[in-house]
Amino acid sequence: MHNSSGSESAPAPTITVANLAKDYRVYDKPEGLRASITSLFHRPSRLVEALRGVSLSVARGEFVALLGPNGAGKTTFLKLLSGIITPSRGTAHVLGYVPWERANDFRRRFALVMGQRNQLWWDLPAAESFRLHKEIYRIDTPRFERTRDELVDLLGVRKLILQPVRELSLGERMKLELVAALLHEPEVLFLDEPTIGLDVVAQHTLHTFLSHIQAERQMTVILTTHYMKDVAALCKRAVVITGGSILYDGSLEQIVDRFTTHKVVTLDLEGTPEPSQMDRFGFPYEIRGPQVKLRIDRQRIADVLPEILRSQQIRDVSVEDVPLEEIVAELFRVGADRQAAEVRP
Amino acid sequence: MNRYLSIFATFARACLVRDMTFRANFLLECVTSMGWMSMNLAFYLLIFTFTPEIGRDTGWTREPFFAFVATGLIINSIVQALFMPSAEELTEMVRTGGLDGVLVQPLDPQFLLSMHRIDFSSFANGLVGVGLLGWALGRMAHVPSPVAWLLYPLLILCGVAILYSLIIMLAAATILLGRNQSLYDFWFYLTNFSRYPAEIYAGPWGGPIRMLCTFVIPILLVVNVPARAISQPLTGQAWGMIAAALIAAVVALVVSRIVFQAAIMRYRSASS
Repeated sequence: MHNSSGSESAPAPTITVANLAKDYRVYDKPEGLRASITSLFHRPSRLVEALRGVSLSVARGEFVALLGPNGAGKTTFLKLLSGIITPSRGTAHVLGYVPWERANDFRRRFALVMGQRNQLWWDLPAAESFRLHKEIYRIDTPRFERTRDELVDLLGVRKLILQPVRELSLGERMKLELVAALLHEPEVLFLDEPTIGLDVVAQHTLHTFLSHIQAERQMTVILTTHYMKDVAALCKRAVVITGGSILYDGSLEQIVDRFTTHKVVTLDLEGTPEPSQMDRFGFPYEIRGPQVKLRIDRQRIADVLPEILRSQQIRDVSVEDVPLEEIVAELFRVGADRQAAEVRP
Repeated sequence: MNRYLSIFATFARACLVRDMTFRANFLLECVTSMGWMSMNLAFYLLIFTFTPEIGRDTGWTREPFFAFVATGLIINSIVQALFMPSAEELTEMVRTGGLDGVLVQPLDPQFLLSMHRIDFSSFANGLVGVGLLGWALGRMAHVPSPVAWLLYPLLILCGVAILYSLIIMLAAATILLGRNQSLYDFWFYLTNFSRYPAEIYAGPWGGPIRMLCTFVIPILLVVNVPARAISQPLTGQAWGMIAAALIAAVVALVVSRIVFQAAIMRYRSASS
C-alpha cells in the first residue's frame, strides 16, 4: 500500500511501526544417536519471540541507533523493515510502503548494508558490481558516474574499484559495500553493524563519511551496532531493544540523564592517595599511582568538587559522564532481568 | 523486459570476465564435460554394434537415436549453463542468509536467483550436440520437413522450460527447508529418465514410470518430443505429443512460479 496523501500540517514520518512482532518456531536437536533417530519422527519445538510488539516512528533525516545485546531482535527488526521477512503480527510502513509486499518502487528507495555479509561479486572488481547496480536500479549514466565518483572520492577508494574484491581488506571492502549501497541515492538506509571488525582508522573514516552523506542527502538512517563510538559519532537518538521489546527510545543525552545517578571525576594528584582518603568524596573505583577515578553522585558534584580542590594537591582534574558503554550495558542487564522475571513461573 | 535483458547481459559479461580470470579452470571444465560426453557416445555406439534399433519398430535406429542424444545435449547444455550454477548456489545462499541481499533488490527474485550465474563451459556440450545433430541428420534417410525445422527450436524451448520449472520447484523446496543439499542429486535422478527414448519404458514396470514421467513430472517430454519431431515423420501421435509438450511447458512454468512465490513469502532468513 502506498500512501500518497500527505499531512498538510506536518510531514508524515518516513518509518512508522506499530506492534510489530516476529515469532519463530525452532526445532531442538537432542543429543545422542537414539534421540537423533527419534527426532526423525518427532522433533521437539518451541516458539521464539524474536520481536514482541515493537512500536516507533522515525522522521525524515533522523539517524537512529538501534542498540541491544546479541539476540535482542535488532537484525530481525531491520529485516522486517527491509521486507526480507514477514511479521507474525503488527504493521509497518517505510516511505509509505508495507515492506514485505516488496514493491519494486519501494526497493528502489532504500538500501541495506550488513557488516557481516558481502554483497559485492567476490571474484570481480567492485566496478563490475557497480555496473550491475546501475542496471538493476535504472540509474542513468551521467547520474551513475557523478554519484560513483563522489562516493569513491569521499571514501578515498578510487584505486580499489578495479581490484578483485577477494583481494581487499575488510575495511576496504566495507567502504566499497557502502558505495554500492548508496549509488542509487536511497532515501532510507539500514546499516547492520557496518563497523564490525574494522580498525579505528577505518571506523573513523566511515563515521566521517556517513555523517557527511546523511546530512547532505537528508537520509533517514537506522544503525545497529555494538560500538558506542559509532553511536556517539553519528546518532542523536537511540532505541534500546532487549528480548524483542523496546526498553528505551529517546535522545542520547537523555540516556545519560535518565539511567545514571553519578559522574566520573578523574584526579591527577601530586602523590599517591590512600583509598580511605578518597572515600568521603565518592566511590574510588580506580587508583593507579597518583591517578584516581571517583564516582560521585550528580546531586553532590557541585558541593564535592570545591572540597576536593581545597583539600588535595591537584595537577589536573576532569569531570565526565559515565561512559555510554557502561550505561548501555546496565540497560541490557535491566532488560535481561526483566525478561527472566517474565519467564519465571 | 529490456531491463531484464540488459541485466542478464551484465551477469553474462561478469561471469565471462570471471571465467577468463580462471582460464585453466574454464578449459578444464570444458575438457572434463566433453570427455564425459565422448564416453557416453562411445557407449551408445557400442550398443548399436549389438542391435540395429532400440526397441522393436520404435524408429530409434542408430542415426535417429544420435539425433535424440544430440537434442538431449543441446537442452541440457542450455540448462546447465544458464540455470544450474545459480540453483546449486542457492542452498548456500539460504543457509548463510545470502538470499537477503537478493530480496532487497528491485527485481524479480526468481530471475535473480535462477540466472545470476552463467557457466559458459557448459555451452561446449551444446556445440558438440549441434555438430552431432548435423552428422545424424545428414546420414538419415528421413528428411525433416520445414514444419519440423520450425517446431524443433520451439520444442527445445519447451524442454528447457520444463527443466527450468523443475529447478525452480527444487529451489523453492530449499527455501522452505532452509537446507536442501540433495537438490542436485534429486535433479540428477529425475533427469536420468529423460535421457532415453520413452518407448523403453514399457511392460509392468516401465508403463507406470512412463505415465508418471509424462503426465505428473513431464520429464519424458523434454527430449523425446523435439527429437522425434526432427528425426521421424510427424504422424498423428507425434502431434499429440507436441501439444502435450507445449501444454506441459506452460503449466510447469505457472505452477513453479506459484510455488516459488509461496516459498519466498515464507523465507525465514538466517542468523546474522
